[in-house]
Amino acid sequence: MTAQLSHLDMLEAEAIHIFREAAAQFRRPVLMYSIGKDSTVLLHLARKAFWPQKPPFPLLHIDTTWKFRDMIAFRDKTVREFKLDLIVHTNEDGLKRGVNPYDYTPSVYTDVMKTQPLKQALDKYGFDAAFGGARRDEESSRAKERVFSFRSPGHRWDPRRQRPEMWNLLNGRLGPGETVRVFPLSNWTERDVWRYILREKLDVVPLYFAAQRPTIVRNGQLLVVDDDRLPLQPGEVPQMKSVRFRTLGCWPLTAAVLSTADDIESVVEETLGARTSERQGRLIDHDQAGAMERKKQEGYF
Amino acid sequence: MTAVTAIRREDLAPAFNQELNGILHLLTCGSVDDGKSTLIGRLLWDASDLYDDQRETIRRSSNAATGGAHPDFSLLLDGLVAEREQGITIDIAWRYFDTATRRFVVIDSPGHEQYTRNMASGASHADVAIMLVDARSGIKRQTRRHAAILDIVGVKRVILAVNKMDLVDWSQENFRQIEADFRELTLRFGFREAIAIPVSAVGGDNVAHKSDHMPWYTGPHLLDYLERIPARDTAARGPFRFPVQTVLRDGADFRGLAGTVASGCITVGDRITDAISGQSAHVLRIATMDRDLEIAKQGQSVALQLDMDIDVARGAVISDADNLPTVTSRFEGRIVWLWETPFDPNSGYFLRTSTDLAPISSIAIKSLLNLETLAAQPSEKCSVNDIAIASITLGRPVAIDPFASNQPTGIFLIIDALTGASVAGGVITEATTGKTDDASAFRLTRELLERGLCRDLGNGEDDRREFQRRANETALLLHAAGIPVKIEI
Ligand SMILES: Nc1nc2c(ncn2[C@@H]2O[C@H](COP(=O)(O)OP(=O)(O)O)[C@@H](O)[C@H]2O)c(=O)[nH]1
Repeated sequence: MTAQLSHLDMLEAEAIHIFREAAAQFRRPVLMYSIGKDSTVLLHLARKAFWPQKPPFPLLHIDTTWKFRDMIAFRDKTVREFKLDLIVHTNEDGLKRGVNPYDYTPSVYTDVMKTQPLKQALDKYGFDAAFGGARRDEESSRAKERVFSFRSPGHRWDPRRQRPEMWNLLNGRLGPGETVRVFPLSNWTERDVWRYILREKLDVVPLYFAAQRPTIVRNGQLLVVDDDRLPLQPGEVPQMKSVRFRTLGCWPLTAAVLSTADDIESVVEETLGARTSERQGRLIDHDQAGAMERKKQEGYF
Repeated sequence: MTAVTAIRREDLAPAFNQELNGILHLLTCGSVDDGKSTLIGRLLWDASDLYDDQRETIRRSSNAATGGAHPDFSLLLDGLVAEREQGITIDIAWRYFDTATRRFVVIDSPGHEQYTRNMASGASHADVAIMLVDARSGIKRQTRRHAAILDIVGVKRVILAVNKMDLVDWSQENFRQIEADFRELTLRFGFREAIAIPVSAVGGDNVAHKSDHMPWYTGPHLLDYLERIPARDTAARGPFRFPVQTVLRDGADFRGLAGTVASGCITVGDRITDAISGQSAHVLRIATMDRDLEIAKQGQSVALQLDMDIDVARGAVISDADNLPTVTSRFEGRIVWLWETPFDPNSGYFLRTSTDLAPISSIAIKSLLNLETLAAQPSEKCSVNDIAIASITLGRPVAIDPFASNQPTGIFLIIDALTGASVAGGVITEATTGKTDDASAFRLTRELLERGLCRDLGNGEDDRREFQRRANETALLLHAAGIPVKIEI
C-alpha cells in the first residue's frame, strides 16, 4: 500500500521533524505568523507535528496597522478555530511618529514598523527561538540560509559565522546571548507551498483569489486601495478590476496582479504556470541590489 | 545564439497538482573556474521551468569568455553580495528546480582546500555528486581530496563532468585518458556508481542534450543520468531505528512517542525495544493527524503508541527488538573539524546523535587523514578542515550503529559546550561494545543530584528532562576541572 513517498510527503515529514526538534531543544519558541500562505502552511505543519496536543508555543504577529483588513479577519478566525495563543505586537513609537508606507522609503518603513517591533517583541517575551516561513528559493541571499539560523545578541545575522549543518542533525545549543530563527520550510519552493495548500485543502486569505477590487496604478504597479489612508495623487482614481495577490503584506506596498482565478485550483494552476518570480510583487525588494541580505543582517528575518 | 532557443515550457513544467517522484540532492564540486556555476546554470536553463524574468536577465547577459557568443548562465547562481564582489563561492548554496518528473536540489559547494568543511557539510546532504574538471587539466590533487570527502560522508554516486570539451577540440583521446584516471581514483573508495561524462557547459553539450560534437560518446548525457538515479532511498533499508524526539499526550488515553523513522520500517503489532533501557513493547498504533497508518517507513514523521507504558523519553532509540543498535559510551569515528577554534582536550564538548545529547568525557585524536595520499598521519591535534580519526568516550552510553551498516544512526556532531557551535561532524567507524569502566571516574549518581542541585525537580516529563540537562552540565563542569565523570542516573 505504501508507494514511494512523493516529494511533498518528504518535505512535510522534514518540516514536522524540524518543528519537533526545535520545540524540544529551545526553552521558549514562538511562531512568527504573518497570515499569508507560507504562514498558513507553517501553522498547519506545526499542528501536525504536535497533534494531538496543540503546538506548544504562541503565534506572534507583528502588526504594522497597514495589513489588509481581510488579513486581520483571517488571522482572528484562524486563532479561534484552532484555539491558539496569539500575541500581536505593534511598534507604538513608530505609530506615534507617523511612520507610514507612503511618506517613508520602504527600507525605513520596514525597519521601523517590522524589524524593530519584531526585535522588541522577541526581547519582551524572552523568546529564544522564532519559527519563520522563509524558503531558500525565495531570494539568492536566502539560498545559503540554515534551518536553525543563529542570531547574535541584537538579532544580527552574520553570513560568515553560520554554523555548518550536517545530515539532518540539528544543533540547538545556544551560545551566550544568542537566539535562533527556525525555518521548517527551508527546502520548499513557492510551487510546493501552493501544491500543499491544494492537497491539504487549507483555507487561505481571500485576497489570494481574484475579485473585483478598487485599484490604482502607481509606479507601474497595481495597488488595491484597502481604506482611505493612502493619499491619492492627482489623476489617481480607483477603478474596479478583477485582481488577486501572489504575496500579502502591507497593502500600500503589495502589488496585485490582474487575474480571474477565483478558486484554489485556478489560483494554483495560474501560479505554477506563472512567468515571473513572486518577489516582483513585493515592492520593498526592489529597493537596492542586495537589499534582502542587508535586511537580514539587520534582523528583519 | 541557437543554443538558447527551443525551450518548450510545456515539456518542462510538471502539471500543477502533480507531486514529484521524490527528491534528488545533487552536490556540485570543483575548483574555481572549472565552470561549475555555468554548468548548473545551463542545466537550469535547459531542463527546468525558470521564470520569465530570470530568463530575460540571462538572455540579456553575455559571456565574455566565449567572446559574447553565449549568455552567462552562471548568473543564475549568483550568491551573497560579499561573494559576488569577491567572485568566489564560500558557503554552500541551495537551489531547487523541477524537471517534468522530479525535484532536484542542487547543493553548490566551494572547492578550495580551505573550504573542506563547507564541502563536507554540503556533501552530507547529497545523494549524488558532480565533480567538475577542466578537460585541459584533467584530474587534479583536489579531485582526489573531493572524492575522499564524498566517501567519508557517505555519498554513493559520483559523476565526473569533464568540462570545456570545446577547448580541446572535442577530443575523444583526451576524454578517455581523464576517464581512465578517474576510474583508477574511484576504485579506492566505496562508491556504488562512478561515471565520467564529457560536457561543454556554455554550449550545453551533453548537459541536457546529446552533443553533436562528440558522436564517439555513447553514454548518457548529464540530465539523462540524473533522472535515472533512484531518488533518496525511501525503500525500507536497514534495521528499524526510531530516535524519539518528544512525547505527545492526549489525556490519559494517548501517549505517543514522536519521531521520524531513521531507517527500516515499522508495522502495527511489531515488537520493539528501547535499546538503552532494554525495555520492550509492541506497537499498538502509528498515529498522525491525518490518519492512523498500518506501516511507517524511513523518512516518515509519526507518533508511536505502545501497548505498554515503557519509560522512554527524548533521546531513546526505539529499535527492532531482534536487531538492536550498540549501546556504548565509547566509539571510534572519523570527524571533520568544522570550526575555526581548534580541538582543545580541556574544553567541554557534547555529542549530538539524532535526538540524544550526551556529555563527552574525552576525545583522543589518533591521526589525521591526508586527503591526497589517503595515508593516516599520527597526530594529537585537529583544527579547521582537518579530517581526523578519533576515539571518543562519553559520560553515559548512547545507542549508535557503525556508519557503514546504518548511516542515519551512525552520524554525530561534536558541540562546544560554551559557545554551542557545531565544531565537528563525524561518522562512527567502530562502536565498542562491552563495559568500558574507568574505575577512577567520578560517579555522578541520581542520589547525589537529588540531594541538592535537583531537589526542586519532580517526576514529570519536563522535570526529568531538566534533570538530564543539569546532570549533563554538571558533568561538563567537572570535566573542565579535570575530573573524569561517569553519569549514572
Ligand atoms: N570555453 C568554455 N568556457 C567555459 C565552459 N564552462 C565554463 N566556462 C568559462 O569558464 C569560466 C569559469 O566558469 P564558472 O562557471 O564561473 O566557474 P566556477 O568558478 O567553477 O563556478 C567562465 O569564464 C566560463 O564562461 C565551457 O564549457 N567552455
